[in-house]
Amino acid sequence: MFCAVREAQLPLVAGLLLCGSAAKLVQLFRTGVVGAGSGPVVLFPTRLRGPLAVAICVAEGGVGAGLIVTWGERGTQAPTFFLRLAASLLFIVATCALIELRASRPDVGCGCFGDFSTTPVSVRTIARSAILAIASLVTIRLPPLAVPKPSAVPELVMICVPELILLALLSPEIGEALIRLGYSEPCELHDVPVERTVSALRRSKQWRRNVALVSSDQPVDVWRELCWRYLVYPSGYADGQADAVFAVSLRQRPPTVRYALVNRVTGQPLQMPARAPGRWRGWTGGLPARASVASVAAPVQRTTGRGQPNLPFSSDL
Amino acid sequence: MLGARVGKACCDRCADATREFDGAAAARRRLLKAAVFRPGEEPAGRLRMSAPGSATAALQPQRVTLPGSDDQTPPGAPHAAAMPGPEPEADPVGAGWPDSALLPRAVCGTVLDVSPQVLVLDDGGVERRFALAADAVAWRGAALEPGALRAGDSAVVRLPPGSRNVADRMWANLGRVTGIITERKGNRLVVDEGATRDRQVVVIQPRVAGRIQVRFPTLEPGYLIDVIGVRREEELDGVVPATSQPTYPADKPPAAPLISRYSRTVISGSATWHEAHDEPPTLLGVCYPALDPQGRCAEDAASGSRRGYERLPYLAIGSVLQVTNECSGNACLLPVTGCGPMARLFNDRCVTCGTSPRGRIADLSLAAFVALGGELERGCFNATITVGA
Repeated sequence: MFCAVREAQLPLVAGLLLCGSAAKLVQLFRTGVVGAGSGPVVLFPTRLRGPLAVAICVAEGGVGAGLIVTWGERGTQAPTFFLRLAASLLFIVATCALIELRASRPDVGCGCFGDFSTTPVSVRTIARSAILAIASLVTIRLPPLAVPKPSAVPELVMICVPELILLALLSPEIGEALIRLGYSEPCELHDVPVERTVSALRRSKQWRRNVALVSSDQPVDVWRELCWRYLVYPSGYADGQADAVFAVSLRQRPPTVRYALVNRVTGQPLQMPARAPGRWRGWTGGLPARASVASVAAPVQRTTGRGQPNLPFSSDL
Repeated sequence: MLGARVGKACCDRCADATREFDGAAAARRRLLKAAVFRPGEEPAGRLRMSAPGSATAALQPQRVTLPGSDDQTPPGAPHAAAMPGPEPEADPVGAGWPDSALLPRAVCGTVLDVSPQVLVLDDGGVERRFALAADAVAWRGAALEPGALRAGDSAVVRLPPGSRNVADRMWANLGRVTGIITERKGNRLVVDEGATRDRQVVVIQPRVAGRIQVRFPTLEPGYLIDVIGVRREEELDGVVPATSQPTYPADKPPAAPLISRYSRTVISGSATWHEAHDEPPTLLGVCYPALDPQGRCAEDAASGSRRGYERLPYLAIGSVLQVTNECSGNACLLPVTGCGPMARLFNDRCVTCGTSPRGRIADLSLAAFVALGGELERGCFNATITVGA
């Protein structure tokens, strides 16, 4: 049983080394720097960080690939021993470096898997590295590995699965990876063109119901907060002293639309006029039948009137 | 010869942001927003200001309740939001806004005279006298006795809560440069602070070079810098590093942590301050790093990177945030008054009290930073913002 446990460690160690190296390479190609801001390299002077990070990436990839290449008959050759020893040293040094990193730079991630390893180094990260160091050490004197017999596969699975679960529990990167896999950008972060909002507003029944209140197809003010975009249109209601305000949700399709009629000067809500068949009672203005959506991104600038409440935006309190 | 770019008009690409923040327009937007939503369905409830030490309590009622559909409204029925109704709470108007009785206040001006007990300040042509508190401290590159201030110094004076004529902290000739290094010649750096601000020249004297390079080791073009120092005419003598330098070039920020699909309305990070270049020095406001790109005020950073490190929900000029200083417990509502193109490039942490999450979430005006209990020479404080307030 113990021999089987030892044999199971080699592919695990090799696989993790290759994953770490690949993640760092992806980071290098995407940002142009590899691990210069995370991991034990931050303990070194700036000029050495880049070369050191590249060296670690190459060493991990080289040792991981070497452990797999020396599978089978080639495992009898001398480099096998040195590769397994190198893997052990790599994890022992990494464990010590992470302990030092946690003490001196508690805000820095371990950088083990590139962009995924931004969580500050914790006891879990150190424990994972220590377990991998032990796993590497027990493989040093192993005889050459061969493809397992079918009868030994269930035993290997029983060894590998719990160990992988343990490593996953010790890996803060798993949470990050799961978030990326199931990620859907919240609407608060979604860049939505104003034109699309206006088109959605024009298609809504709230717009059609209240279009007679709007005297211009150009909004005088447009702004966005979180998942709502607000559009203010001039209205001819109340002797032209009113504005129609529409709030269009950016979350749903078709979007939720809310509206109100406000006093242009005070900004206070006005009573909506009672509706007569076909037209608004007491007022015959309205928007031309085919209002253009174009140029709504440039709302008409209008000076705000006097008498509006001002907020204490100055510290002269 | 290194020189600062001058004459760049503010907000060439920011039609919404005028040279002076239009408080009336912002207040109007807030009213219109409230008119659209029924009482109790506003994107955020009215917030109360928290006294020092009660920051956590202040955050309790701020969960955003997004309005539901009004599709159930019968056709032709008066819109409920259009009818004035009683407020859900009897909050006094203005609750949550900065109050000099609860928060410190900043006054800016030129020192006319100073004695061990009294400071005389020229505040926009008005002579003002402040009694100096017994433990008053001044700063001009280093901590000083208040009596060491000189006539002609440009000073920021902090008045403790409830006091209009007592000063307990003074900063003289204070300056800060936050941006991307574009040029270096010897110990002089030209720094780009964004398209809406002039380029700045920072001088790193040999006696402070070591102190600054501990936190900002790469003083080369393309890298970020954030230095606090003493203003000498058009230049800034760097004195202390404001935070730590991100390790990446400004045009290659790392991937920001992804935000879950749930709306984030309470966000933690670091809050910094900026000099009042084109805004009134006593303005209480915040430059927000994530203005709606469609609002024509989402200035691209000089690096060309529109999206920086921190991913924040989109807001607009005039939106209101509640900003809480996690170190002092002070909290108040502040309007968004500008873009924060540089703030979004930094993924640094603030360590004023504990270690903040990465990323700058608010670039406060100088007066707002002081009102929230920040120490200007420290550069930042650990902060929480609540959006949709």
